[in-house]
Formats: sequence, C-alpha cells, structure tokens
Amino acid sequence: MSDRQPQDPVIALEGLTVAFPRYGGEPVRVLKGIDLALAPGEVVGVVGESGSGKTMLARAIMRLVPRPGRIEAGRISFDGRDMGQLDGEALRRLRGRDIAMIIANPRSELDPLETVGQQIGNVLRHHLTLDKPAIRARSLELLRQVSIPDPERRINAYPHELSGGMAQRVVMAIALACQPRFIISDDATSGLDVTVQAQVLELMRKLVVERGTSLLFITRDIGITAHFCDRVAVLFAGEIVEIGPRHAFFADPKHPYAILLLAAYAQNERLRRYWLGDTTAGAAEGPATTGCPFARRCVRAQDRCRTEHPRLEEMAPGHFARCHFPVER
Amino acid sequence: MQLLAYLGRRLLFVAPQLVGILLVSFFLLKLIPGDPAVMMLGPFATDDGLARLRAELGLDRSLLEQFLIYLGNVLQGDLGTSWQTTLPVTTDLAQRFPATLELVTLALLLALAIGVPLGVAGARYKKGLLRTTADYYGLFAGALPDFWFGLVLIFLFYTTWALVPAPLGRLDFVILPPPEITGSLLIDSTLAGNWQALRNAAGHLVLPVLTLGLINAGPILKMTQSTMERMLESDFSRYAEMCGLPERVVARKALRNALPSVVTIVSVLYGFLIGGAVLVEIVFSWGGAGQYAVGGVLNADLNPVMGFVLYSAILSLVIYLIVDLIYFAIDPRTR
Amino acid sequence: MAEAPAKGDGAPPGSSATAGGSGGIAFFLALLRARPAYALGYVIVATVVVLAVLAPWVAPYNPVQASPVDFLKPPGWPHVMGTDATGMDIFSRVIYAPRIDLAIALAGTLISAVVGSALGAAAGYYEAQRGIGTFAAGFVMRAADVLQAFPVFVFAIAVVAVLGQSLQSVVIAVAFVNTPIYLRLMRGQVLSIRRMRYVEAAYIAGVSDFGIIRRHVIPNAMAPVLAQLSVNIGWAILLTAALSFIGAGVEAPTPEWGSMIAMGFQSIITGHWWPSIFPGLALAVTVFGFALIGSSVEVLADPARRRALAGELEARRRARLATA
Repeated sequence: MSDRQPQDPVIALEGLTVAFPRYGGEPVRVLKGIDLALAPGEVVGVVGESGSGKTMLARAIMRLVPRPGRIEAGRISFDGRDMGQLDGEALRRLRGRDIAMIIANPRSELDPLETVGQQIGNVLRHHLTLDKPAIRARSLELLRQVSIPDPERRINAYPHELSGGMAQRVVMAIALACQPRFIISDDATSGLDVTVQAQVLELMRKLVVERGTSLLFITRDIGITAHFCDRVAVLFAGEIVEIGPRHAFFADPKHPYAILLLAAYAQNERLRRYWLGDTTAGAAEGPATTGCPFARRCVRAQDRCRTEHPRLEEMAPGHFARCHFPVER
Repeated sequence: MQLLAYLGRRLLFVAPQLVGILLVSFFLLKLIPGDPAVMMLGPFATDDGLARLRAELGLDRSLLEQFLIYLGNVLQGDLGTSWQTTLPVTTDLAQRFPATLELVTLALLLALAIGVPLGVAGARYKKGLLRTTADYYGLFAGALPDFWFGLVLIFLFYTTWALVPAPLGRLDFVILPPPEITGSLLIDSTLAGNWQALRNAAGHLVLPVLTLGLINAGPILKMTQSTMERMLESDFSRYAEMCGLPERVVARKALRNALPSVVTIVSVLYGFLIGGAVLVEIVFSWGGAGQYAVGGVLNADLNPVMGFVLYSAILSLVIYLIVDLIYFAIDPRTR
Repeated sequence: MAEAPAKGDGAPPGSSATAGGSGGIAFFLALLRARPAYALGYVIVATVVVLAVLAPWVAPYNPVQASPVDFLKPPGWPHVMGTDATGMDIFSRVIYAPRIDLAIALAGTLISAVVGSALGAAAGYYEAQRGIGTFAAGFVMRAADVLQAFPVFVFAIAVVAVLGQSLQSVVIAVAFVNTPIYLRLMRGQVLSIRRMRYVEAAYIAGVSDFGIIRRHVIPNAMAPVLAQLSVNIGWAILLTAALSFIGAGVEAPTPEWGSMIAMGFQSIITGHWWPSIFPGLALAVTVFGFALIGSSVEVLADPARRRALAGELEARRRARLATA
C-alpha cells in the first residue's frame, strides 16, 4: 500500500461483466466488460437510456447484484484492493463508509417507519464508534451541510413527511455521514422539479469538490453531465460506447449513439446541426446482429458493423469510442 | 384527537353492520327445517299444546315481526333462552365464551411463538434446515385435520403415556372451580390462590392448545415468511444494505415493516377460531361457544346460535379495532 | 394494435412471462426434478385418485359390510389396517373414501371458483363506472362482507341444516363458504388490471366492455385464481371431512374419512387407535399432496417467482452439464 501514488485510482473496474441466467438459453449479459477507473476527486458521468445497465453498474460496484444475476467476470478494486477477495463482513464495512450511494426516489427507499435522525444515526452507529450525543450532534451537522432548514425539527420527521427535494438531501446526508472516498449517484435527481434539481446538483458538486471525493454520476440526462463532470461515459446495451474528457466529448463526440443523445438534448438548432453532421436521427430498428449492438438503430451502419463487434479505441488522448466508422468533423 | 374521531366514525358503522349480520343469520336459521315446539314437547305432544307453545314463543307471527321482537329484546340485553339448556343464552355464553377465548388466545400465542421466528428465519436464510422447515411446515400443518390431530395427541399423551388429565372438559370433576371473575380458569384460579385448580386447568389446556397452536402456526409462519421476504427485497432494505448496515439490522427493519401483516393474519385467525375451534372443543369436551352454537344449529335451537353470532361479530369488531390501534402505533403514516 | 405498447409497465404480464423462455412441459419437468417435494404432491394425488377409481377391484372387503365377530381387530392380516367397532375393514373404507371426499371438494371448489370469479370480475369491472353498475357491484361486495362475517364453520353447518343432510348440501355448503374468496381475489385482480395502460389503450381504441374483459382482464387474472384453486381444494377436503365428523355431512356407514374418524373417536381412549388414525392419516396425506401441488402452481403462476426459478433451473442444468 505504501507505494501507492496519489493519482492511483480510488476505484477501478476491469472487464466487469454481469449476467442473468435464462432457462434453456444463453445468460443475458446486462454489463459486458466494463473498464473504468476514477482518480481521487474525479467526477465521471455515466449516461444511458433505461435498460442500458446503469443501475446494474451501481449495484455491481457495491457487489449487490440482485439474484439470480451474478458478476460473471471482471475485477473491481477499491484503493488497489480486489473487492472480490473480501468476505461479506469486510464488504459490508466498505459500503456506506468508504463507498456511499445516493439513490433516486428516496422517499420509497428510506425506511417508512424510522425518523430521519434514526436513519442517519443507524449508519453512523454501525460504521463509526460514536455515542448517542455525538451521533445526534453529527446528524444535525450533516443535515445542516446539505442545507436542510430547521434541522432540529426535521431530524424527527418521517420520510413521508418530507418533500422529494428534502428526502434527496437526507439521502445525501446519509451518504456523506462517514466521509466516504467514493460516492455513486444513481439517477439521483431524476424525480425532482427542475429548480430543486438544480439546487441539489449544485450542492452535490460543492460537497464533492470540497472534500475531494470521487463521484460516479449515473444519469439519463446528458445535459447535467456538462455542468460538473470531469469525464463523460456513454453506456449502451451494457457496454461503454464512448468515454472522454468533458470538453473533448461535447466538442467532438465520436459515436453515433452519443451524437443522437446529444442531439435529442440540444435545444439550440445550430448546436443540434453541429452535432448531427451528416447523421440524421431516428433510423428504423433493424434485426439484431452479432456485430455492433447499436447497428440496427444506426444510420451509418455498414455490413462490417453487423458482423464484427467494434473495440473501444482511442480516438484522441483519453477519448475512446467503440465504433468502426466514428464521426469525423 | 385524530384517533378519537376515527374511533367515533368506526363505532358509527358498527351498529348497522351488527343489525345486518343478525338479520341475515335470523332468516338463514329460520330456513332450517324443524319445529322447536315439536322438539321441546317431544313426539307425544298434543296439537293444542304445540299451538300454545308456538304462540308463547312468538312462532305464530310473521318472520319480520319475530325478528323485530328479537331485535327489541337484544337491545334490552335479552338474547332469549336455549330450549336445550333451559337457561338464558346470556348465562350460557357467559360461561362458554370465556372458555373458548382462553383456549384460542393461548393457542394463538403458541402459534405466534412458533410461526414468527420460523418465518423470519425462513425469509433470512436461502437454504439450510430452518429454511426447509419453514417452507414445509405451513403446508404440513395446513394439511392436518385439527380434530384428528387432537385425537392423535390424546392417544399419545393421555392413553399411552398418561401425562395429562383425561380430555373431558376444562377441569377434573373432583376439583373445585375457582370463583368466576374473568371466566379464564388460569386467571381466576391464580386470583383465588387456588394452585390445585390452576395446575389442573393448565393440564387440561395443554393438548387442545397444542392442537390448535401447532396447526395455526402454519398460516402465521407463511404470512411472516412471505411478507418478510418481500420486505427484504424492497427498496428500503436494498438501500439499508447499500449503506452497509449489518444483516441483522436490515432484518429487524424488515420485520418491523412486516408486522402489520402478521397482526392482520392473527386477527383473522382469531375471528375464525372463535367458531372454528368447535371441532377441537368437541374432541376435548371443552364446552365452548362454538360447540354451543353447533348444538343449536343441529337441534333447531335458534337463540344460542344467534347469541353466538352476535358475540363473535362484536368480538371481531373489537379485534379489528385493536388491530387498527396497533397499526397506529407501528406505522407513522397512519397517524 | 393499440392494445400492446412495446415495453415498460404497459405490456400485458401474460406475454412477458412466456417471453422469459420459461414455458412448456420441459420447464415443468425440470421444476419437478429440482423440487422433488412438488413431484411428491403429484404422486400422492395421482395415487389417491387411482386407488379411488379402482377401489372396487383393489379393496379386499366390501366397505360397508359389518362383521360383528371381527370388531376392533388390530392391524394385521387379512385386515391390513384393522377393523372398526362394527367390524368393517378399515383399509377398504379408506380407499373408497376419496370417492366421496374428493368429489365433494372438487365440485364445491369449482362451483365457488366459477361463480366467485364471474361475480368478482363483474364487480371489479363495473365498480369504476358510473350508474347502476357501481350500485350492483357495491351490493355484491357488501353481501360478501356479511357472508364472511359469519363464523365459517357454523355457517357451513347451517347451510347443510337448511338444505337437509345430503351430498349435494355439503357441496353447496363448501361452495358457499369459498365463493367470497374468489370474489375478492378476482375483483382485486380486475381493479389492478383495469388501471394498466394496455387496458386503457384498448378502451380508448373502442373495444367493447365484454371484449376487454374477455381479451385482457380474464386471461391476466386467471393465474392467481388457478393458484388459489389448487390451494383451496385441500382445504375443501378438510371442510368436507369436518362436516361429516360432527355429523352434518355424509352419513355412516358410507365410507368417508371424517365420519370414520368420528366413529373411532370413542375407542381411541381405550387404546384402539386404528379406526381413527388410519383414515385421518389418509386425509392428511391427501391434503398435503394437494397443498404441494398448490404451491407448485403458485410458483408457476407468479411471473416474478417463475423467472427466479428459471434462473435457478438453468444454473442447475449448467452445473450438471459441467460435471458430466
């Protein structure tokens, strides 16, 4: 451990593959060979449509894949340690303390029968050795940090008494409770009003930057990632199809699917035309192929795309795309 | 405040519900062929005597009139007389209802003590002996006819090993019963300091309580297990797991969230067993309320049945009220 | 067509269950192999049914022939299960009995399932609509409330008492007691299915009420009803036997498990256990068999459990292939 460099990744995924068995057929692979590493303090956005494997990615990193699915191949290392080698108890100590999670729809994910104070206190008590007054003091401090007004009163509130934005802040307080090194945010702001969403995002950005926590920001809204992610990754059918530094990605997207996502998001017609280039949106869905999984929705698809699975290739320094015919500009 | 308003609203609905239940049972029971007058006077009665008795019992009036008279009497606390025991139904039930309640309450406590821990274990562990037991206990217990299972227990514990007193009632004939206060022999004999009666009554309770308790642990177990499983797979358990809370803490949260379902199934069983324990009561000559009602149905003795239906309806209502209060205490969302 | 949006919660659950690749007889057989207890259930019930059908050829004695000299003979030869207090051969009676018990229970359960589901489907479907339908639906539900407010067993006995003691009366009593279960189940199903988007879509597309019920509601609500049915039969057998046990069902000396147990009741205290124990054992084992079948149907009828099971079966299959 002593020879670790400050820039060594906090978390590294190598060839992570998650599969669900299916009776009388090939297992369904919802994640296929994901490679991804986050440096300390780095914020990486992961964008994808529903069903692309976003949530499974979050759960796989936590090593909490729902049965009967399982991690079929690959390695997840945290701080250089292979998480696959850890026993259940060591994994449990990692979750919530070193790796925290911010979830979507927190009102249904918080225990309906416990107060905010009890739920924050639970995490503090089981990860840190604090006595009761200390737990209360720390809980109030956390609620203040996530800008919850009147924390003395809110600490006794039940989840159903909170608004969506408040519940989201409570979940952030729980995530921050043990000062984790790495936070996963899974579609965390998706259920909120736009104004509240902006507040929560700003808060999240501030807290992460201040503490130098690494953040994996999973979302279906590619626009959000433009604001505060250092790198952006696009997930399609369980694969990373493009990943690159934020500026490079938005200035020069390579993969046709990433371009479609961007174009769908763009309000500005010029920007839209810039991104689309010679690509037009909305190709009809063709038959499934053994090649590129996007081929049947891709207007640029050639014969090669339908037969040969493309590799993730470096197009520019740090900017990778998985496409035989990346878009040139 | 909210609670009081709620209770008030509940009670407002109770009265019409009770009248409805009485109305339906009255007409249903009147359909049963058999003339109480004939049964009471026997085969050698004169037509004249029969007519007089019918008039006395009000049987010569229209059904609706009969019902209204009955209802009026009920409002004055008069549930009529059983021609079989020749006693007022209220007197009979005051003696028999507590007997059934004591039996059913103890049996359900035993069922809870077996069903809940086993159900929780069955939901927490994916394999192993506890899981297998939990998976099959409910099916097995549900398949046992309680009246037969009671006989098996009698054969083993009384006939073969002589460990318990004879399965004939709640107390040996030679034992002086304690003065009646609550109607529960265990409580009354304790209050009276009559330890001999206490031991004897407990001995009589063992087999019927085992019979009903072991069998009814099945549904409680099944409900606990399935609700617990659902809670363990629910969003908040998954989130608790992601927060790295220990498995036992996650299980405790899940159990708390599963409790309302367990309370519900217990209340359903309670209501069911008040009448449903009748077979076990017959097997152990318990002299309980269900036995009294069945005797009434089979002998065209209407008043005991009506009294029993009324009592169990009121009891069910009380139970549902208690259930609501428990929900209230468990779940902040209902407050 | 307007009825089936491609994905998400709008898709009819029936179609997604089969799309999981877990249908067919092969799947069922794999399930039985993986859960031998379920197979045991089918074996038990099949055995009981076959014995009952072949009873006239299998039974060594006439089941209702009393033989005063041979009373209370313990199990042995030639009376495998002994004889009862009137000298009738218990084994013969035990294998004749399901002819009565199973027939009553099956008939009663089927009647209640058909009547209850039909009423429940109508109640659920019309409840959400205005006018006379809502009123009728409310009436049906209140009637079910009152029916269920009765102590089940006392009610069943009362039904038999009203109709007079006969096989048909017991069937009707069993049906009466069970009808509210299906009524509620089906109503709940229909209410939740009605809110599904594919039903709304069909409604908007102008499909008639009857068409919606037939095409969308009933097929999707059937699985839980079937599961309930298979679980319910065992319970109906117990009820049938219980009615006979207290003398409100089948009359002696007709071979029937409940009345046989009642006949042996007195002798058990004197140590003659066999007249009661054997019929009770047959009864318990049969009901257990139905319960096992019931839980296998429950698994098959629940798409989520079915998918989980499919995953497990596949894992087993692969493990077997790997070792072979």
